Amino acid sequence: MIEVVDLVKRYGDIPAVAGISFTVGRGETLAVLGPNGAGKTTSLLMLAGALAATSGRAIIAGYDVFEQPLEVKRRTGFMPEAPPLYDELSVFAFLSFIGRLKELARNDLATEIQRVLSVCGLTDVCKRRIGNLSKGYRQRIGLAQALLADPQVLILDEPTIGLDPNQVAEVRTLIKKIAVDHTVILSTHILSEVLQVCNRALIIHHGKIMLDDKLEQIITDYGSLENAFQQATRE
Amino acid sequence: MRKMMAIYRKEVRIAFTTPVAYIALSIFSIVAGFFFCRLLADFQGRVMVAAQTRPLALKYLNLTDDFFTPLILNVCVVFIFVVPLITMGSIAAERRFRTHELLRACPVTPFQVVMGKYLGVMTIVMAMLILTGALPLLLAVYAKGAGPEWPSVATGLGGLFLAGAAFSAIGLFISSLTKSQIVAAIVTFCSLLMLWVTGWAAGDSSGLTRDVLQGIGATEHMRNFAKGVVDSRDVVYYLTLAVFFVFLTQRSLTARDWS
Repeated sequence: MIEVVDLVKRYGDIPAVAGISFTVGRGETLAVLGPNGAGKTTSLLMLAGALAATSGRAIIAGYDVFEQPLEVKRRTGFMPEAPPLYDELSVFAFLSFIGRLKELARNDLATEIQRVLSVCGLTDVCKRRIGNLSKGYRQRIGLAQALLADPQVLILDEPTIGLDPNQVAEVRTLIKKIAVDHTVILSTHILSEVLQVCNRALIIHHGKIMLDDKLEQIITDYGSLENAFQQATRE
Repeated sequence: MRKMMAIYRKEVRIAFTTPVAYIALSIFSIVAGFFFCRLLADFQGRVMVAAQTRPLALKYLNLTDDFFTPLILNVCVVFIFVVPLITMGSIAAERRFRTHELLRACPVTPFQVVMGKYLGVMTIVMAMLILTGALPLLLAVYAKGAGPEWPSVATGLGGLFLAGAAFSAIGLFISSLTKSQIVAAIVTFCSLLMLWVTGWAAGDSSGLTRDVLQGIGATEHMRNFAKGVVDSRDVVYYLTLAVFFVFLTQRSLTARDWS
């Protein structure tokens, strides 16, 4: 479903992502792990087509992210880190704006918005202004907009950061529910989250992939995900 | 088209749910209204003086030349102050609040984004034009038969529309260069002001320099419209500015965000 080949992003001389390659199969849930500044967000932005790569290739659902960006964007949903939202709009107005950009047909728009509202538990607040809602709700709105138009691939950047424990549990349950029939890539540095939600992990450090394996295999090899993380990111 | 309209609707909705559009329109009505009153009082004063001292000169005074032309020119100056307020956030704020990440991840092109935003800004400019149009209407109601010449009013408003289109395009472009709304507003204001006053320098020069300065300056091009004259050079001047800067905005967005 996703194929990344030698993806590089340089800011001047500083490589943020220094040549990463991996593939993700249909229905897999991949966690991208790494310390702060490892290049997680940069990688995800490039996959979502929101940032140009310096070199390399990324293919999602059979389309090249940099050659056919519109085709890729029609098939992916992206939730940026601490999702930026239009605070002035109501939840419903915001989702119908994104829905229109995602080319939802006029007749399907309302039904699709109702669907994501109920999936993300936002039905009660759909008329409220986004600016007046708590962080937990904002996070869920970020997820809801990514789910609009039912994309095959979901790219979620730190979906549970800044949430209280109850909200974290809710969002994780939600992602698990979605992951059943979607390909999901999520970045995080909460290891317990990976164990609960994902079936594969990718550890990035200084823009390079240090480890890429199935979770069971990592735990068999290293004893625990913590050990694997510490070894992979040791200076 | 539908995506462009989605961006447009979002822009207008945000402009009218935040104080931005209301502040811009209020400032505009107050200042334009002030000019209207001052110029009218001035015109009335001149009529009175002429009636008492030189009754023959009365026939050389008319509402279009002595009141309406300066009014349109003054309103155009008010545009220079108000347009930066409307355009400053258009793109700078998307960048500041990172919402451009959402737009970039959607299947939408920079052209659709820029056109949607440009139409959004132009909607507020149109609202200002409607407010301006109310001024001669007011005059027609009270002047009873001696109101303004409507063709001149139409060309004056048409000229303002073109100037608004050009100024907005410049503002939009400058907003696409920065994250800071304040910087965008200040730079836009200075650029528009320079564009307006360039024509003044023409008075001190001669020959080719004068022609070039006059050609660049926005004042001279507005003067014809304000007098009720439509000259294709003036239309081309404002349209070129509008198209050129919308194009530059699209390029700027493509280069900075969509690549």
